[in-house]
Amino acid sequence: MFLDILFLGSALLTVVSAILVLTTRNIMHSCIFLLGSLIGIAGLYATLGADFVAVTQVMVYVGGIVILMLFAVMLTGGKDFVSKAQSLLGLMPTMGNAWSYGVGGLVAVVFLLTNVQLLSRLGAMAQKKNDGSFESTVNKIGHLLVKDHVLAFELSSVLLLGALVGAAIIARPRKQ
Amino acid sequence: MNETVVTYLAQYEFFDYLTAFFGENSLLLTTIIFFVFAGIFVAVAATIGGLGTYAERKISADIQMRMGPNRVGPFGILQFLADGVKMITKEDVMPRTADKFLFYLAPLMCLVGVFATLAVFPVSSGFTLVDLNVGVFYLIAISSLVGVGVFLGGYASNSKWSMLGGMRGASQIISYEIPVTISVLTITLLAGSMSFGNIVAKQEGFLTNWFVFHNPFAFIAFFVYFVGALAETNRAPFDLPEAESELVSGYHTEYTGMRFGFFALAEYIEVFVVSGVAAALFLGGYNLPVKVEIDMIPIQLVQISIIVGKSLALYYVVIWVRWTFPRLRVDQLMSICWKYLTPIAIFNLVGCAIWMVVFKGQSMAQLLMGH
Repeated sequence: MFLDILFLGSALLTVVSAILVLTTRNIMHSCIFLLGSLIGIAGLYATLGADFVAVTQVMVYVGGIVILMLFAVMLTGGKDFVSKAQSLLGLMPTMGNAWSYGVGGLVAVVFLLTNVQLLSRLGAMAQKKNDGSFESTVNKIGHLLVKDHVLAFELSSVLLLGALVGAAIIARPRKQ
Repeated sequence: MNETVVTYLAQYEFFDYLTAFFGENSLLLTTIIFFVFAGIFVAVAATIGGLGTYAERKISADIQMRMGPNRVGPFGILQFLADGVKMITKEDVMPRTADKFLFYLAPLMCLVGVFATLAVFPVSSGFTLVDLNVGVFYLIAISSLVGVGVFLGGYASNSKWSMLGGMRGASQIISYEIPVTISVLTITLLAGSMSFGNIVAKQEGFLTNWFVFHNPFAFIAFFVYFVGALAETNRAPFDLPEAESELVSGYHTEYTGMRFGFFALAEYIEVFVVSGVAAALFLGGYNLPVKVEIDMIPIQLVQISIIVGKSLALYYVVIWVRWTFPRLRVDQLMSICWKYLTPIAIFNLVGCAIWMVVFKGQSMAQLLMGH
């Protein structure tokens, strides 16, 4: 009951904010609605018992990504960058060429297949009703990260370090 | 696993009457208890924030050999109520070119981000609203809403000073989050848990069991955390976002009345929260100096007064620092964060990990006593 209410609230927040992101003209407002949507997704994780993932979602997106987006929007024009009324179909040719549409289509197909795969197990999962008591996932995630998935963990950390060093090099003032 | 105030109250007899009235495992009862306790927490925090403004003025007056507020009430202690009434009755001015929606939203975001941290604030072993397994992490994550609020306040005002203040605020908050988070991670490593309840329970006993004296690295981590927390709450010497000699008053220049009051209140409550977190993580939290087995309500009240006392002592230090040190320049601010605090914090983390392996988790005191 409690979880259902929480789920409905989070889902409503996610969906309504996501729609508002698309319909708002002001790009700054879009960023803020995106913030609401991302917090809603954190709530969805929390209702699924994934406490660590939920908090990480808030940490990464609210604390990092959205502030970064706000900075980027503000430094590139901010509220002057108000989109004009436009139809999606009219803009289709300007969004890319055959190559980008091909790659996009491929990604869409892969996404669709993975989602179908995931959703096909939904019926079995719905059988397991939870009474609202979850066990902590922090220890499990920690153990899995340094034992089973240590290669993926290390590779992604190397990738992030590379991005960090690259950003520092690009931002560094050049010596004449 | 997640201990809440409801599970604590459930062990008392009077809870049986409540369950008899509402029914077993009643959602309504749980909701009512949470609402009541959240209301108490918010009210107390707001009062502490209000008294914080009074303390700030009184202590600064003391340091500068002035009298400070002394008209309203005994020793001027009701000054914050008078200020509150003044702010509510003031005209609410909105700049014509401001972004209305964001202008209204920004102070609320600051306040929500601060109040949300109170959910895991460890006041005592029983009355903590909820002792999440990811408590410390949650606190760090949700308090970053304040950064968004500061930035939006600066942006939405559509004024140069506000804009500069907001940008400084946001960049400062996200920069100093890194050394603060790594210092907190050091303590998580020592305690082996991210829940405030477990971290405080690990420091049970006298002063020597506090994590700040656990090993030299944790000792340094405390100071790194404290400096970072000063910067994250925009307190002097890191108050560049509201540097009054350069930016009028930074991101809240255009705000009047109670909207300005929200920003100020959020700042003072946040100072209290980060002081309390420092007390809980490093200074033994709500533990009594002697071991008590009974878990009664009077003991809980003693615990609450202990953590509030420790927090207020740190609060005093924060105010004292503000009126003692000059403000930093922007480049100094960034070089302190990235060239000093962050490497020191990472060094502490590695040092603590090595200490835990070499000495099998014993503290300095235990090693000296020779256990």
